[in-house]
Amino acid sequence: MSTALRSVGLLDVVSTTPPGPSGRAPCIHARLHRLATNLGEKCGLGAAAVAFLLALSLFPSRAHSLLYIDINAPGGKRMPIAVADFVAGPGDPSLSRAIPTILSADLVLTDLFDLVPPTAHMETVTAAHFSGMPLSFPGWKMIGAEAVVIGKVETRGDRLSIEMRLYDATQGTLLLGKRYTGTPGQLRSIVHRFANEIVYTFTGVRGVFGTEIAFTARSGKSRGKELYIVGMDGQDLRKVTGNLSYNLFPRWSPDGQWLAYTSFRTGVPVVFLRNVLTGAEKEVIRFGGSKAPGGFSPDGVWLYAGVSQAGNSDIYRVRVVGGALERIVEGWGLEVSPSPSPDGRQIAFVSDRGGSPQIYVKTIGVAGETRISNGAGYATSPSWSPAGDRIAYTARSGGRFIVATVAPDGSGYREVASVTDGDCEDPSFSPDGRSMVYTYRKRDYSALIVISTDGRRQRTLVSGLRDVGSPAWSPGR
Amino acid sequence: MKGTFSWKWAVLALSIAALMSVGCAKKQTVKSEGTEAPPSASAPAPITEAPMKEPPPPMATAPAMPPAAAPGVAVTEEKMSQFDDVRFDFDKSEVKPDGRKTCGVVADYLKSHPQAKMQIEGHCDDRGTAEYNMALGERRATAVMNYLVSLGVPKAALSTVSFGKEKPLDPGHNEEAWGKNRRAHFVLK
Repeated sequence: MSTALRSVGLLDVVSTTPPGPSGRAPCIHARLHRLATNLGEKCGLGAAAVAFLLALSLFPSRAHSLLYIDINAPGGKRMPIAVADFVAGPGDPSLSRAIPTILSADLVLTDLFDLVPPTAHMETVTAAHFSGMPLSFPGWKMIGAEAVVIGKVETRGDRLSIEMRLYDATQGTLLLGKRYTGTPGQLRSIVHRFANEIVYTFTGVRGVFGTEIAFTARSGKSRGKELYIVGMDGQDLRKVTGNLSYNLFPRWSPDGQWLAYTSFRTGVPVVFLRNVLTGAEKEVIRFGGSKAPGGFSPDGVWLYAGVSQAGNSDIYRVRVVGGALERIVEGWGLEVSPSPSPDGRQIAFVSDRGGSPQIYVKTIGVAGETRISNGAGYATSPSWSPAGDRIAYTARSGGRFIVATVAPDGSGYREVASVTDGDCEDPSFSPDGRSMVYTYRKRDYSALIVISTDGRRQRTLVSGLRDVGSPAWSPGR
Repeated sequence: MKGTFSWKWAVLALSIAALMSVGCAKKQTVKSEGTEAPPSASAPAPITEAPMKEPPPPMATAPAMPPAAAPGVAVTEEKMSQFDDVRFDFDKSEVKPDGRKTCGVVADYLKSHPQAKMQIEGHCDDRGTAEYNMALGERRATAVMNYLVSLGVPKAALSTVSFGKEKPLDPGHNEEAWGKNRRAHFVLK
C-alpha cells in the first residue's frame, strides 16, 4: 500500500458499505439501501437525501431503472459514461481537465465503460451544480451518456479537496457522491478510490485502481536485482530496495503492508519481510540453502516458502510472528513455489518428482497430493485465482513458455497468453480476478503485461527496465 | 424536468416526516475539517484506513536496513576460478563424465591443501521460472559437493550456494550461452 493511498484524508466516506462476501452484485434492494445510507452522508444533502432515497425504496418499480453492468457476460455491452470537466476552485486550474483524464483512463482500463468524448459535452458544469442546480440530464442522454460524473476541486496551500458525484443520466438520480481531502501528492490515489466506487456501484465488485504490482529488475548497470513497485495503471514506478545485491521473489502480505522476499544482501540468501511504508525489515527464514517465498496464508499467519536442505527443496511454512517452521511437503524431488488457495485450506506447488516440474495441489494436513498439470513438458509458478476457481501457471508449448489456467482439479485447461516469438511466464492474478500480470520475454527485451483473464485484452504495464520478472499483484485496497 | 423535481420534493417532504420518527439517530455528521473523522457508532461499515500524515515509526524488532553490505554486492561479481566449471544438461543435475574429470582435479587440490575452503556455486540458464531455477542450482551445487565427498574430500571443506538464473556467465540467448550458464562454479574462499 503506498503511503499516498493510506494518507488520504476522508471527509465523508464514513458509511461506505464493503462489497458483499460473494463478490457478486448485491440484490436490488440491498443496493437501494446502500445507496440510501451512502447518500445520507454525502455532499451536504444530509437528511433530506436520506429521506428521498428511503422514499425511493418504497417504490420498487423504480429499481428497474438502475444501471447495472454484468461483468460475467463476455463481450458484454459497455456503459456509455461522460466525465465532465471539473469545477476548479482556488488552486491549479489545470486540474479541471487533469482529474477527468485520470478518472477516464481508469474507467477505460476496466473495459466496462465507453467514454463520451469531452468534445461532445454540451453542458458546462459549474459550482451551482453542487449546490442544488440540477444537471441537464436530457442533454447528457442526447450525447449518449447513461452515466455522468461531475466534480469540483480546490487546493489551498497543501490541502487538496475533491468532490465527485456519479449520476444516472437516464433517471437523473445521484448514485454516488464523495468528498475527499488530502495533499496534492495524493490526487491520483483519491481519483483511483472514486473510480473503484464507480465500478462497485455498477458491478458489485470492487475495482482494483490503486493496487500495485511488485516485481524484480536489474537496476542501471548493476548485476544485482532490486525490488520495484508500480501502480496497476503503470504509474508511480519506484525502486524498493537499493543494495545492488540479488533481491528476488516478492510476495505481498494479505494486508498489503509487507513484502516477503529473498535477499542475498548479507552474502547468503535470507527471506525478509519488508514494510512497504516504512522500509522496516525483519528476517523470517535463514534456515537452509536456496529459498523463495511463495505466498501468505489468507489470514496472514503463515508464510509458505520453498527451502532447500542438502540440495533438496521442500515446502515449508513459517509463522510470521514467532518464526516457527513446519514442513508441509517433502519428497526426493524439488518442491517449490507454494501458492495458498484463497480459503487457506490448500496449496498449489511445483514438484519435479515425476521427472519434470509439474503443478500439484495439496490439502493442508491431509496426506497425498494431486497433479493438476498434464505431466508433460514443464509447468511452474502456480498462482491461485482470488475466487479459487482457477490456477494460473507457466506451461511449455511448442518450445515456448506460455501462461495457462486450469481448475484446481486439473480440468478445463486453457491457454491465456502465448506468443510465437517469445515467452510468457509468472502469472499473478489481480484481486478482482479479472486480470493477470505476467512477464513477457524475447531475447534481451522483457516487459510486464496485464491481460484479461479470458485472454482477450492486454496492455504493457512496465517496459524499459532490464530483466523484469516475478510480478506479484497486491491485494485489494 | 420540472415535473420530476416537484414530485421529488413532495416525496421528500413526506419522507422527512417518516425519517424524523425512525431515523433521527442516523443523522450523520460530515466533518468539514480534520482527518480523524471517526464514524459514529451507528454508522455501517466504515472504510477503516486511518488517515496518516507520516509513516509510522519502524517496529522495535525491525531495525532499519543497514547500508548496502559488501558481501551482498560481492555475490553479484563473477569470481575467477582456477578450475573449470562443471556443466549440466537442461533441467538436470547429474554430474557428467567431463564434470567428473573436473571434480577429480578439484578433489586432488583440496586433499593436498587441507586448509582450503571451497564454495560451489550452482547456476542455471535463463529459461524457466526463477524460483524453480534457484532450487535447481542448489541441487546442482549439492550434486557436485556430494561427488567431491565421494572422492574423499572432507565435507567441512565444502559449501554450496545457488544463484539460480540470476548470474549468467554468458548473457546470450542461444544453446551455446545456455550450455555455459548451466554450471557449477568453484570459488576458493
